[in-house]
Amino acid sequence: MLRKKARILNEAGLHARPAASLVKLASKFESDFFIEMQGYKVNGKSILGVMTLAAECGAEVELIMNGEDEHEAMESITELFDNKFNIENEE
Amino acid sequence: MPFKDHTPIPKKEKITVAYMIEKLRDRVKIKVKPNAAESVCDQKFVTDTDLHRPGLALAGYLELFTYKRIQIIGNTESQYLAKLSRQEQKKSFGNILQFDLPVIFLTDNNTLPKPLLRMAEDAGIPVYTTNIETTQFMFLLRDFLEDQFALQTMVHGTMVDVYGIGILIAGKSGIGKSEVALDLIERGHRLVADDVVMLSKKSNVLLSSATEMNKHFMEIRGLGIIDVMSMFGIRSIRYQKRLEVVLNLSLWEESEKVERTGLNHDSVSILNTEIPLIHLPITPGKNITVIAEVIAMNYLLEHYGYDAAKAFQDKVKHHIAHKKEGGEMPKRAIEYFEGDFE
Repeated sequence: MLRKKARILNEAGLHARPAASLVKLASKFESDFFIEMQGYKVNGKSILGVMTLAAECGAEVELIMNGEDEHEAMESITELFDNKFNIENEE
Repeated sequence: MPFKDHTPIPKKEKITVAYMIEKLRDRVKIKVKPNAAESVCDQKFVTDTDLHRPGLALAGYLELFTYKRIQIIGNTESQYLAKLSRQEQKKSFGNILQFDLPVIFLTDNNTLPKPLLRMAEDAGIPVYTTNIETTQFMFLLRDFLEDQFALQTMVHGTMVDVYGIGILIAGKSGIGKSEVALDLIERGHRLVADDVVMLSKKSNVLLSSATEMNKHFMEIRGLGIIDVMSMFGIRSIRYQKRLEVVLNLSLWEESEKVERTGLNHDSVSILNTEIPLIHLPITPGKNITVIAEVIAMNYLLEHYGYDAAKAFQDKVKHHIAHKKEGGEMPKRAIEYFEGDFE
């Protein structure tokens, strides 16, 4: 099991679109993926789960990855966090 | 195994006395009237679910006095105070007022003499009175506090009420939990929460609800997010439901623990409460919705005292025992067919 801290960098926080790109990417991997924020843990492959966190810009979350492809998955997910979820113009 | 690593979410540490009073009036529907120091209620905090009757403390024994708890003055304490002289009353009441008590309740229409209320006012300790009988008031208040400070956790799954039985559908992402729930809603059952289920432990029972955020939204793969309440109406949702059965969906190859007789009951421990667990492998041609209904009905039957697996087992055992005394092989269920005419 891997644990890693990550920060939300895009201005509008983790709303529908970033959440969608996050769960889409996470679903490509076999590993179980959870996101923990202030003690609340949700499934990172569920869009409703991720949106429930309502994580704002600057919020710190912990990514928990468990499975065979955990290293690869963690790398891609952290990259997505660093690239502000690949969203150019936010609505 | 689902939820093996669920973690409780941080508990509430304290609530203000003002909040508690407001909720007692609105939600618990009990009458409480302020007698002293109402203005400091929003700076006073309740941190403990337990209550205390300060009889011994009034009498002067202050060791182990649990002053952080809500203090309840019932008939015994009031009569004790009433029998004292004015001077002694002040001394006795002063014993407990030297501590930072959260709030004092006078139950069963008991009152305190004016000088004592003035002392409480000066000490900044709120005093409320209620008409409810002491033990009943303590029960209601404890029940409220237990809920406020309840142990909670968040789990991934879909919670539905099927024929009055709270079923939590668990399983990996994308296995079709929401689709099963949608099918159940279409058949008249009620959704509690999709994807994120909050569980609170209250007197050894787990109560489930959605979160403020996801309540009555649902995600259907390929379609996106839908609002169940506006689509299917108020009868399709529920705010809360006791969790009674966990239904774990899995793919056929990963499911080794599939029960065949129904004699062995598996369970899962969530917040130290054992909940019956059913492993259901998904195979082509299997209608999970109907199986969920059957699970609910079977649970109801068991609850009402009929266990089909045990009944069948008893029948077989009886037959085996009978065979030794010269019985025969099982016969057909009907002795004589009269003929079946169209």
